[in-house]
Amino acid sequence: MRQFLSRSESRSGLSPSILAIPILLILILIPAAGGFASWENLSNLSSQIAALVIVSLGQMLVAVVGGLDLSVGSVISLVTCVLATEGWPLTLTLPLAFALGASVGLINGWGVAVMDINPIVMTLSSMTFVQGVTLVWRNVPGGHIPKQLPFAAVGQTLGIPHSLLWLVLCVLVLTVVLRHTRFGLRLFAVGGNSASARLNGIPVRRITISAYVVCSMIAVVAGVYMAARIGSGDPKIGASFGLDSVTAIAMGGTQFSGGIGGVASATIGALSLGLISNGMNLLGVSTFLQSAAKGVVLVIAVCAQRRKSVGV
Amino acid sequence: MSVAESMPDGSSAERQDPSGVVVAQNVSKSFGFTKALDNVTIIGKAGAVHAITGENGAGKSTFMKILAGVYRPDAGRIFIKGREVQFSSVHDALVSGVSSVFQEMMLLPNLTVAENMFLGREPMSRGTLSRRIMMRESRDALARVGLEVRPEWLVGHLTVSEKQLVEIAKGISTDASIFFFDEPTASLNNTEVERLERLIDGLRAQGKVIFYVSHRLEEVFKFCDTVTVLKDGKHVATLPRASLDEDQLVTLMVGRPVQDLFPRRKKCRSSLALDVRSLVPQQGAAEVRLQLHRGEILGLCGLEGQGQREILRSLIGVIKPHESDITRISKEGDASPLVPEAGVVSCLRKGVGFVPEDRKVEGLYPDLSIYENVALGPMNRLALFRLAPRVAELVKKIMKRMHLQASSMGQPVASLSGGNQQKVMLGRWFAAGVDTLIVEQPTRGVDIGAKAEIYRQLRNFTASGGAVLMISNEITEIIGLCDRIIVVRQGLTVFETAGSAATEEILMEYALKDTPPAKGKKKKGAGTSS
Repeated sequence: MRQFLSRSESRSGLSPSILAIPILLILILIPAAGGFASWENLSNLSSQIAALVIVSLGQMLVAVVGGLDLSVGSVISLVTCVLATEGWPLTLTLPLAFALGASVGLINGWGVAVMDINPIVMTLSSMTFVQGVTLVWRNVPGGHIPKQLPFAAVGQTLGIPHSLLWLVLCVLVLTVVLRHTRFGLRLFAVGGNSASARLNGIPVRRITISAYVVCSMIAVVAGVYMAARIGSGDPKIGASFGLDSVTAIAMGGTQFSGGIGGVASATIGALSLGLISNGMNLLGVSTFLQSAAKGVVLVIAVCAQRRKSVGV
Repeated sequence: MSVAESMPDGSSAERQDPSGVVVAQNVSKSFGFTKALDNVTIIGKAGAVHAITGENGAGKSTFMKILAGVYRPDAGRIFIKGREVQFSSVHDALVSGVSSVFQEMMLLPNLTVAENMFLGREPMSRGTLSRRIMMRESRDALARVGLEVRPEWLVGHLTVSEKQLVEIAKGISTDASIFFFDEPTASLNNTEVERLERLIDGLRAQGKVIFYVSHRLEEVFKFCDTVTVLKDGKHVATLPRASLDEDQLVTLMVGRPVQDLFPRRKKCRSSLALDVRSLVPQQGAAEVRLQLHRGEILGLCGLEGQGQREILRSLIGVIKPHESDITRISKEGDASPLVPEAGVVSCLRKGVGFVPEDRKVEGLYPDLSIYENVALGPMNRLALFRLAPRVAELVKKIMKRMHLQASSMGQPVASLSGGNQQKVMLGRWFAAGVDTLIVEQPTRGVDIGAKAEIYRQLRNFTASGGAVLMISNEITEIIGLCDRIIVVRQGLTVFETAGSAATEEILMEYALKDTPPAKGKKKKGAGTSS
């Protein structure tokens, strides 16, 4: 029993009830929604959820250090608008997008780690600010994305939709970061107990700031994907991603008190949320009702988890 | 011979004493009003175990934390191998070869044993974290301390003593030249302590500098070569172990005249206020029985972490006791049960006040005014949605009675000194008209003048029919203030005495030793107060 409990996987946040959600959803949707299991719908599903999975991975990093980042949605919107600026080549807009994302993350991290501002307040402010800047940049959807990008997002290679490749690549990179770098280990240390982490010689502030920066950079990746998918800039396209990514990682078992989370749990959480939307679309449920249903599912999922951090 | 005396001019010590690998010279550190370390000089030599000992609050842990880079000293210099160092973080100290095992657990529950052991100095190979090296080396280190846990287990699932051993394994596996152990044996059994002794011997043979911070006399005598005694942050003596016996060491740790701080005891003990027929603070803890009378101050004392705090907190319901059978008797003689299982709120409503040790976090609302903080007391028993009456006159009276130094009752509590904050805390309960007070550390972080005032207030409170049950880490305070004293050791009430008959030596001996002193002093059961 103790060996079972003590495996390091239990800090990933995963539990049988969390794994059961997507499986259950699939088992329900196959008979209930005609065409769910079709190749077309699955590739559609992958392109729908890729951005959410990517953003949720970044959100999870911040949650592991005990924070929260609501500004990721605004960053996505900003990135699509920057990329869609008429006459600007990708060689200019891509580095610019990443630089802007990094600055947002740096400011978020500075506010939280140095100025000791509550993460919700800090990232709510930056969310509002970045949304405003985005609307100044482009107040209506439009513009044009250089055509190399759309192929990278909506094309297929050997029958595999490119959206799936984006998703898998991000999952792999984040797995390596969490599992095989100093930064990854120290994220968990800071989230577990920042005072103890400091006694162990960990630069707590630097790690916290880095988490926010990486999260924003991942949001930029999701933004590039979204821009490629829709082929234009949209100042409101990311609006729902802030709360959706929080919902997704909560469904995956990541604890907002810090120290518990992982790539697998964030991915599964985002997948569950995506399946709910996709399934209800197929069943013809109205979007308003969908939103209400998501809220109910979230509360049920969180109640089913043991909300105790490991060993405490 | 005191080391401090050998260097009156404060010239660089390492030149005078070439074997001193670590020299902490005239180091001072204050926290608010409390001088935690006052001009202390300690020299650590290669291949020697140096005990740093003293009573609670003597400055042992502060000294260690300064050398470990946790605190920066206010004054003084630190030399390692002849070079002056200034640590601005724990990381700096690690790099300079200082390895520390802290008293409080510094392990992270959500990391594995191996990850914890290498946190802050993670081994890398080809740009990535080398989990192979971490596993291999932690397996070796765990074997050295004789701990049978697997490196991939999460620390959160280990027992307290396993955690402590992991912490020791972490400390000794560091490639350091200076090792600090802060009370490393608090939760170890005898076999484990013996193994630690062998490990420390091994470090000594390798020519390392070892500081052993402890107030456990047996270990100080077993492990150490040199003993430094601190008291109230001041250096008392540094002596070779061979020249000391246990009694001399206790005298050095205690030796201080009791200041004339305390009000005279008054003989006014009367009826029962609390009858604790049975209290088991936690599952597996010893059963405590005690009686608290009106007109008396009853003090529980002992070394830190021996369970006295848990007794108090479970009595008032801050922590849920495992079992309890307590009767509270009001001034009028009405007896009713006090049920700590129902929580602290229900206990407070019965007219018992609680003064917690960390008043800023657990007691006061620092951003609110004196008025609001005191007025909370009388309003405690009102229904939730009753309009709050103005109690300005009452608060004014309390402020005057407590000699509270403040510009007005609108002043925020955070801007007051520690002593005045404590007066606000007590004033809240006096305003509420409680007749029983449970007090933790009545004068922690309080300057000497306010101390005397607080003692006087507590004494007046009992003289007018109140009852006080308190704990304190300051043994002089316990002796000077309390009418009756109970020594707690490992959750057991091991000794009871009248305050007027107590001496520091007796209390310390009961607090420190397994066996009661064989000086013919009668040991009384704590529950049977005459």
